[in-house]
Amino acid sequence: MSTLDFLSPQAAASDVRLVSPLARALEGAQSVRDVSSFGKVEVRGVLDGVELEPGEELVRITPSRGVLLTAGSAGAACARLRAAGLRAYDMTGALAALELDGERLLRRLTDLEPESLPAAGAVARGVPGIVQRVGGETFRILVPQELGHYVAAVALDAGEGLAR
Amino acid sequence: MRLPPRAGERIDRSRNISFRYGTEEVVAFAGDTIGSALYAGGRRVFSRSFKYHRPRGLLCCTGHCPNCLMTVDGVPNVRVCVEPVRAGAVVKAQNVLGSLERDLMSVTDRIGGPFTPVGFYYRTMIRPRRAWPLYERLLRNAAGLGRVGGRSRRFDTEHRRARVLVVGGGRAGREAALAAAAEGPGVVLVDEGSHLAGAELPGVEVLARARAIGIYEGGLVPVDAGELLLRFRAQRVVIATGALEQPLVFPGNDLVGVLLPSAVRRLVQDWSLAPGRRAVVIAAESRGLDVVPILEDAGVEIARTIDLRERPLGTLAAEGHKGRLTRLALDGETIDCDLAVVSGGRQPAYSLLAQAGARVEYDPTRGIFVPRELPPGIEAVGAVTGEVGAAVEPAALYAGSGRTGKSFVCLCEDVTDKDLARAVREGFDSLELAKRYTTVTMGPCQGKLCQVASNRLYAQRTGTGSAAIGTTTARPPWAPVELGLLAGRHHEPTRRSAIHFRHEEAGAEMLWAGQWQRPHSYGDAAGEVRAVHESLGVIDVSTLGKLLVEGPDAARFLERLYPNRFADLRVGRIRYGVLTSDGGRILDDGTVARLGEGLFYVTTTSSGSDSVCEWFEWWNAIWGYDVEIVNVTGALAALNLAGPRAREALGRLTEGDVSNEAIGYLDARELRVAGVPCLALRIGFVGELGYELHFASPAGEHLWDRLVAEGARPFGLEPQRVLRLEKQHVIVGQDTDSESSLLSAGMGWLPKLDKEEFVGKWAVELGQDRVRERLVGFTVRSGELPKEGAQVLVGGQPAGRVTSARYSERVGTVVGLAWVRPDRAQDGSELAIRSDGATIAAEVALAPFYDPEGERLRS
Repeated sequence: MSTLDFLSPQAAASDVRLVSPLARALEGAQSVRDVSSFGKVEVRGVLDGVELEPGEELVRITPSRGVLLTAGSAGAACARLRAAGLRAYDMTGALAALELDGERLLRRLTDLEPESLPAAGAVARGVPGIVQRVGGETFRILVPQELGHYVAAVALDAGEGLAR
Repeated sequence: MRLPPRAGERIDRSRNISFRYGTEEVVAFAGDTIGSALYAGGRRVFSRSFKYHRPRGLLCCTGHCPNCLMTVDGVPNVRVCVEPVRAGAVVKAQNVLGSLERDLMSVTDRIGGPFTPVGFYYRTMIRPRRAWPLYERLLRNAAGLGRVGGRSRRFDTEHRRARVLVVGGGRAGREAALAAAAEGPGVVLVDEGSHLAGAELPGVEVLARARAIGIYEGGLVPVDAGELLLRFRAQRVVIATGALEQPLVFPGNDLVGVLLPSAVRRLVQDWSLAPGRRAVVIAAESRGLDVVPILEDAGVEIARTIDLRERPLGTLAAEGHKGRLTRLALDGETIDCDLAVVSGGRQPAYSLLAQAGARVEYDPTRGIFVPRELPPGIEAVGAVTGEVGAAVEPAALYAGSGRTGKSFVCLCEDVTDKDLARAVREGFDSLELAKRYTTVTMGPCQGKLCQVASNRLYAQRTGTGSAAIGTTTARPPWAPVELGLLAGRHHEPTRRSAIHFRHEEAGAEMLWAGQWQRPHSYGDAAGEVRAVHESLGVIDVSTLGKLLVEGPDAARFLERLYPNRFADLRVGRIRYGVLTSDGGRILDDGTVARLGEGLFYVTTTSSGSDSVCEWFEWWNAIWGYDVEIVNVTGALAALNLAGPRAREALGRLTEGDVSNEAIGYLDARELRVAGVPCLALRIGFVGELGYELHFASPAGEHLWDRLVAEGARPFGLEPQRVLRLEKQHVIVGQDTDSESSLLSAGMGWLPKLDKEEFVGKWAVELGQDRVRERLVGFTVRSGELPKEGAQVLVGGQPAGRVTSARYSERVGTVVGLAWVRPDRAQDGSELAIRSDGATIAAEVALAPFYDPEGERLRS
């Protein structure tokens, strides 16, 4: 049985240079930050059975499907969840994550209500995303990595529009 | 020209602001609009009309009518009557050939009448037929409102929420906003005027110079705030858009000097300007008559006041000199005047309510349409509800006596009573049809000043009542809006693989493949093909759809979904699979690798990843198997390393065994390549020994770099198309369409009819002897390249079409795939292909053109 190691960026050797999909878009940017290396695990099964460890957060998409975000190792979280009878997949590489400050900037990117986060919905004109409030006026947006560069460019441009 | 300073005026005489109009410098006061400043400088003609180029002057001063459209700082169609002055602005007249005073195009008014009735251009300008291109050019040059300037402006979009959104900042709107604010926060008031800017309404966010464009589904109210589009969603929307004073329809009703009462109020009270010397006031309701003391106060002599409620007029006509009003003829009497203030009553501005779903009903006593039955969440306050006081229905048309001028129903589009009558005569007896034919209500005012008048005239001409005729459908935009604002910032959603920038850096020519940007080639497609055949190539195939199917029922699930067999697939083996619809049509194709007893890895076409995932989930929602379907498309990058040197190169980058015995053709193995854990699939889309490596996308550039360093030459989609065509490998969607079945596509070997069930099985059984066309390979000896989509002819009759064709250096001729009649689907059958006017002779070839036994794949 496969361990699905090939899904995990962290399973690569230490000399492998991992590149974020936002690296080029956000090079030198101040207002929008790249947090794509954050661990992400797709969890399937009874989510009520998920026990979170410090530094972890679970975003529920349906009662039996969620995304676990972790500051620690996604691979370790996968193994732990699988041992607990859930199905878990390392999606760290699948999602780009960016952080930005200011509710107005967020409102220029999505129709999701800042008051009811986390939530899933369209970001930057139709890109499916997950939006979280990290704290205060700081928000995190997770989008498919292949659209990450695009979303980052839209976010930077929206920031420029606000700064005018 | 200004009246002495007066209480309540909106101008600040101590502050001058200057701007340019044409070549002259205009000095205005702070608080002026561009329109009021030009008026103060003595200008009376503000525009030329749309079709007849008649001189037009201020009419409403509320930003509703088309009479003051000018180009300001390169932006056409600015309503200068409500556009605040700003220093240094450059204002120009538009839609004129010459100047506003001498517009050469006004010849259409003098001679054009009989020749330019409604719809003339597609009725009288059709002969001779070959002259139409000339006519069209002339018409297009003559028509239109202004020219779009080259200046690009930035427009942004913002999503907003509100508990209560009030549209309209008149007294009723302000009171509603304050009442809502008393109940809690989240109250926003939008008003199109500038006078509320900086106004303090406790607890209310006031957006001045902002217009609600419409009400859309889900209560979405887009608000035009200049260079920012605010997309409001509110729990409650309160409409307080007030009422619109309506013009009367009579000969000469468009002359400069014929004003609505609102214009008088603004000119005198806001800007201290006298609108004339001698005035006649005609009104169908009391508020219109209120201008009499205002005029007197401004020193205007009142020649006559007519309250239509007490004295219905028989005839009414205006006469003028050079487009300016000089006298009014009413009921046989002639009155010299330079100002006629007319009001046909106040029509509630119900459009937003109607857009939201309210019913609109005619009130025959007052001659106005009133909104009824408001939908939930929508409220109305003030005059828009129909509280506009007593009024009388004016005549649909006041006839003049003797030879008189045109009576305009619609000023925006220059539609006269005669145009409407003609439309009725020609059978356009429904208001909606007549609107499309005459374009009445379709101009910049969007029916604000012509909806009621045109309705009334229709009712009269067709002998029906206004109530029966009803109104035309209210649609956004309610207020004019710049297209740039609706479009917003230009960003093209683009999917980029994890290796995208390596392709750009290597000078790849990129092309769109759906939302993806992919390399067409790296500048030498033929050389790239050669590299794969003779040495080693690498192509980024990260766009392939990738799914994990996991669970105890995974094998059963796939067995039931696919026409071919998967239950017997051994762990570590790969099988090609084609998905078919319930009707047996080809949906998608790809490979299925078994990674464990209950774990499969499925690839799909690049465009099919989302739809295949949905297809899987949809069937499993019905069947209820214990399987998880996980879309890992973005999680993984994928590279196809192909060519005779592939094994050797891979062996140098991994400690794993890559011998033909360890990873044979159609084997799947997990390998660490250059330190990256990979799933290696030994498959051969391009016809040479090859390994598809699937691995975590953040390692994309690393592995790409290492493979290139091992001598793999990057190749793009174009060389891949040639390579796969040499093997007659089908691309679903390119070579197949929604009619293609497994049998017709030459994959009759694939479905296993002894399976109890699979999606589309009945169609395969039924379709055995019903194949009407077959997908076959062909070669063109002459080397001529037919276009994709070119027609295949047999005996001069259409008998199929070409789906793919390329020149193959390796085969030495043009090779392709085409759909042909079954009787032509034999090796050696001759085909005639019609492409770009030439007939190309081709020959059917059923076996792959290159390595038909697949020895190179298995080597």
